[in-house]
Amino acid sequence: MSDLLRAPAEIKYAEELDWLESVDDGPKPFSWRLSPKMIRLFILGSERSDGLDREIAQKWFGDRSFVERSIVTLASDRGLLLIGDPGTGKSWLAELLSAAISRNSTLVVQGTAGTTEDHIKYSWNVSMVIAKGQSRESMIPSPIMTAMETGAIGRFEELTRSTSDVQDALISILSEKYISVPELDSDGIVFAKPGFSVIATANSRDRGVNDLSSALKRRFNFVRIPVMTNKKSEAEIVRFRTEELLRRHRIELDVPPTLLDVLLQSFADLRASAAAAGSDDEKLESALSTAEQIGVLEDAILHSNFFGARALTAHTLATSLVGSLARREPEDLAILNKYLHGVVEPRSKEEGGSWPEFLEGGRDAIATLS
Amino acid sequence: MSGTHQQTGGTHQETFEALRGQLREAAATFADGPDALESILLGLVDDVDRAAGEPLEIFPVCHHSPASALAMARRLREKQPKVVYLELCEDMAPLLTELRNCRLPVAVQAFAAAVDGFPPEWSPLSVVAPVTEASAEYQAIAYALDTPGVELVLVDRSSDHVFQWDARGTRSEEPATEGEPDAPAAEEEAALHGDAVGVEIGDLRPRFAELEEHLLRHGKVRHWSEWWHQYVELPLGDGDHDTYRQVMFLIGSLFRRLAPGDAHRVRVDEDRERCMWTRMREHLAATGTDPADCLYVCGAFHAASRVEEFGVHGADTYRISPRTATTWQYGLIPSSHAAIEAQFGLAAGSVSIAATVWAKNVKRTRVEPYRLAGQAGTQKTRPRKNTAAPAPGGGGPLAPAPASDKLTGFLRQPPVLDRLDETELLGWSVEIVRAARRNGYLASTADAIAVFETSILLAGMRDRAKPTPYDFQDAAVTCIEKDTVPGRRDVRRLVEIMMGGDRIGKVGYEALPPLARDVHDRLAPLNLKLQQRGVQRALLDIASRPELQQCSDVLWILRYLMPHGTARPIMGERTLGERPIQESWDVALGTHQRALIELGYEGVSIEQVLEQRLRRTAYDPQATAATVLEAVEDATLYLRSRRLADELGTRALEVLSAERSVDGAPEVLRRVRRLLAYYRTSEPVLPPWIESFATTGYAHYCTLLPTAFSDDDATVRHVAATLGFLFSMESLALSLGCDRTQLELAVAQSHPKDPPKTALLWAAQQHLGHLSRADLRARCDELLANPMVVPAYPRYLSGFVHALEPVPGLSDFVVEAVSNAFGRLPDAVLLPWLPTLITALRADGAELAPLLIREAGRIFPGRLAALDAWVPPWRAQPEPGTAHPAPRAAGGHRGALLAAHPATCDAVANLLGCDGTWATADSPHPAGAALAARHPETATALEALLTRV
Repeated sequence: MSDLLRAPAEIKYAEELDWLESVDDGPKPFSWRLSPKMIRLFILGSERSDGLDREIAQKWFGDRSFVERSIVTLASDRGLLLIGDPGTGKSWLAELLSAAISRNSTLVVQGTAGTTEDHIKYSWNVSMVIAKGQSRESMIPSPIMTAMETGAIGRFEELTRSTSDVQDALISILSEKYISVPELDSDGIVFAKPGFSVIATANSRDRGVNDLSSALKRRFNFVRIPVMTNKKSEAEIVRFRTEELLRRHRIELDVPPTLLDVLLQSFADLRASAAAAGSDDEKLESALSTAEQIGVLEDAILHSNFFGARALTAHTLATSLVGSLARREPEDLAILNKYLHGVVEPRSKEEGGSWPEFLEGGRDAIATLS
Repeated sequence: MSGTHQQTGGTHQETFEALRGQLREAAATFADGPDALESILLGLVDDVDRAAGEPLEIFPVCHHSPASALAMARRLREKQPKVVYLELCEDMAPLLTELRNCRLPVAVQAFAAAVDGFPPEWSPLSVVAPVTEASAEYQAIAYALDTPGVELVLVDRSSDHVFQWDARGTRSEEPATEGEPDAPAAEEEAALHGDAVGVEIGDLRPRFAELEEHLLRHGKVRHWSEWWHQYVELPLGDGDHDTYRQVMFLIGSLFRRLAPGDAHRVRVDEDRERCMWTRMREHLAATGTDPADCLYVCGAFHAASRVEEFGVHGADTYRISPRTATTWQYGLIPSSHAAIEAQFGLAAGSVSIAATVWAKNVKRTRVEPYRLAGQAGTQKTRPRKNTAAPAPGGGGPLAPAPASDKLTGFLRQPPVLDRLDETELLGWSVEIVRAARRNGYLASTADAIAVFETSILLAGMRDRAKPTPYDFQDAAVTCIEKDTVPGRRDVRRLVEIMMGGDRIGKVGYEALPPLARDVHDRLAPLNLKLQQRGVQRALLDIASRPELQQCSDVLWILRYLMPHGTARPIMGERTLGERPIQESWDVALGTHQRALIELGYEGVSIEQVLEQRLRRTAYDPQATAATVLEAVEDATLYLRSRRLADELGTRALEVLSAERSVDGAPEVLRRVRRLLAYYRTSEPVLPPWIESFATTGYAHYCTLLPTAFSDDDATVRHVAATLGFLFSMESLALSLGCDRTQLELAVAQSHPKDPPKTALLWAAQQHLGHLSRADLRARCDELLANPMVVPAYPRYLSGFVHALEPVPGLSDFVVEAVSNAFGRLPDAVLLPWLPTLITALRADGAELAPLLIREAGRIFPGRLAALDAWVPPWRAQPEPGTAHPAPRAAGGHRGALLAAHPATCDAVANLLGCDGTWATADSPHPAGAALAARHPETATALEALLTRV
């Protein structure tokens, strides 16, 4: 585990999953490794009232009903489509679900404009075909096909980024649950084993890029993951992810809680102003998701660690915030400038604390970028 | 609890002994010894024991709980009490019998428009107590009112006390106290209840957020209503009376003992309990009723009370404070499930779901619920013969058997799993798919199957065999909702509608206050179903049916008094002196029933209310002459009341005399002109007040005029309106004895500094004859000729434009001035000013612009061809009697003309005896110099004159 930059969930939490499997006596659908209730527990963490001998940490933060609805969908014969703004934790939830259900979260197809039907179904190993002709041996199955063959969960990231004809290749996979290989004379159909399902994710900001057809929509249950607005849970996530990051980089750095508050508050302010904005020009291009918040903090931490005095300051945090959020010039810079002078400045006068330094940092960063 | 239940005390001590033992053990196990936990746990049992042992049977209820309602119906049929004590404001009693004329849910309202004894900023005060059919209190009310020989006694504190005990009064002393006494403040969407304070029977909910959060988290439910449904409602379902009572006592006690914090709220609750028990003991003593024949219906929270006054034998030391002198009015207003949910902070749809569950339970258990005879809005059911309510005492109340310990069994039993009702779930699944299709979703039978399966799977994950409506809702959203909502409603809302939807109550005609009934009677000729919700179109052909004039009057008054949208004229208007011929209206009286009923608290007829309102406006300390004149106009328009108009007019006079600025002048001028025009055409003589108004106004504005001209705060528009008043009222005022000198002096004293007002002053002087048109023109020419002043010229112009108001005769001159501006102003000044001119004309001169345009149309040539030969009239003919036209250029048109035809001039010169030659325009010396050189005596005489001065 230690020699992987980022271990997939089933490796990272292997020990925990093993233990859960050993104590799980609930009914398991198909070939699932855990029962639905245990999966929920694995993802959302345990309570004392669950009566387990050890504590299971919460791994995904969000409404309980989203997780329940997702699990239940996978137990039915429909695919699961997680839809939401970038950075809301869709892919992480998908990874946790497939790790808990089938102990394999790596059967992933990444949807891009260049994704072809081959990436979803199968392709051929040309040298093998020349040497031995077309056979199951010379066939390269796609991750989805592998999932079908093993009765596991296949994942399709960014479904709406791929073109419509590629998306539609999923229709028959989701309804008939087999892929036919016409090139093969015999054994030309690959049937899905029980337990197979697909978790797709789609970015709601990209709606309209390649809209899903109604036929495909019918075969998916949609679970919309909203941007986290609950400050308490958000603080929890940011803390959780930051600790993980510090551990991964082996950085000994203290993140003062006041700075975390400054970060959360500034994102909350910017979200409020984005909600009030009339047109796209009046709001930041960024979705201001929790992931971006983590990104800002990560950036600031790394900067302080390697270039700074090995202590996180409000100045660095502001620089990192402006650097991450200012994507368009001049619109984003203008909004951030307005925010700094209209909101942060009065607050720094009123409340003091880290705000004056944060304001100073923000100003410097904007001056550098302008 | 010492002497409260001596008769049965011994039995009960033993009844719960086993449970006590177990709890003591549990406390010892979990908390490592006797401590706070033990005292809490044993305290709970003590509370249950105490309430259960009370000789006057306490019936604990929870609001919007079908289980409570069902248990109540059962208990009433079984016990047949002679007296029912109910936890509801005691002063609301007379209204309850009117409930039968209404379609539920409605709310009983106590309303006080004027307060006496409370801070004035609290007014109006309003308390509402919503009543739904699926509630235990309705069962009690229906039983008590419709069974002969049964008395219903409301025992809770009066509406007046709700506010007397309100935290608002003590807030300044206790800044931490934030809670309202009974309910969270109404939210905006609780439109049906307005901003009334809600009171409800059986408010049962954890009093501190952490406990609720804890219960929800561990119960794996989303909101309180769902928790209640799963952990109390279902297990209690068909439990017997004793189990029901003991469990409710326990929950009440639990929330009570685990409710720290808000001391004020606890004190209010305890005072209410003291008040209720005191009232019950008073009633028992007065009527001599046996407590065993009575039933006390209260929230479970109050059943677990530990106040001294608790019980029939409780201490009699509490004195209920007297009410304040505030006069309260009572009525029923329509309510709705959504309004109740919003007011009491319940989850959306929970009250509707409770109503559906109630209906289902009634059907399933075959319990005959009580219903008020003739209850509006329900289907008539034939009473079953065997369940006809016998008179109380006829069958004899059951002998009170000592209740056994049902609590232990209840607490130990495993979670109750409701059986899966497959048919019902199938029905729901099919129904939601149909509803979704109707709302634009691409839903099919496959979705119905998926919803069905997903509901069961979700319920399984949440530890229940039968999906609750909330599980079903989640399943439907999962399977049907896609990335966009095609229609107006999303799936979540569709499920809510399907589960009963929002139900909006209606107050029947008989239960309406006299004012509302009167409005309905008077609008009857329109033949509209006014009780129905929604907008209805009324067409009034008054010319052919003169009797509709009355309806029209009512509609206009309603439009004035009621919220926007109640009565909206589509065609027709009401202005002074106009007779209506045809009108069409959009009427939505049913939708705004609450507002109409609240209007009924203010008076017995809409005319009376309108009169009060107009008087209130006029006598308001903040009233201005303009607002009072508006009230005069309204009184004339809507009430046709000369008496009131005269009274208010006299008031307008007083207010005007007290005003010290001309801010209201434009409005005053507009209104008084309109009223004057009306009185002149419709009355033989002018009302005395308006004559006085003209004379007083004349003197008043004359006095204010010089100040207004120099005051920076008074805008040119205000000053113009002041002048307008003076000039247009002049003839009337002079005829009534005013002196024009006053105005002339006022104008002479005015020394404005800024250009627009200066222009205005010039216009005024011109009107008064102090300045000729030629002088005015000369001044303007000077302005244009002086490069230092030119940039300010547009501002003079704007003054002239405003001057059209008081001096409409000046319009041709204004056109001239504007034309000159266009012709002579340098671009650098003209172009930036143009937008200002347009906006100024739009904003201030909306009524002046047409005047200007008409005049311009008269002056300027109408055709393009005529333009070449056109000479502006002010250039074509020098005005006769010009004092000093002072030609500025020696040449010009006239010079050219004379030079071209010198013969005419020569002839005239000959005749006058002059000689000499003509100087041409390009001569190096000005003609005047040559002339002066030739006749030096003129200059000498002038010099002598000047030196003498």
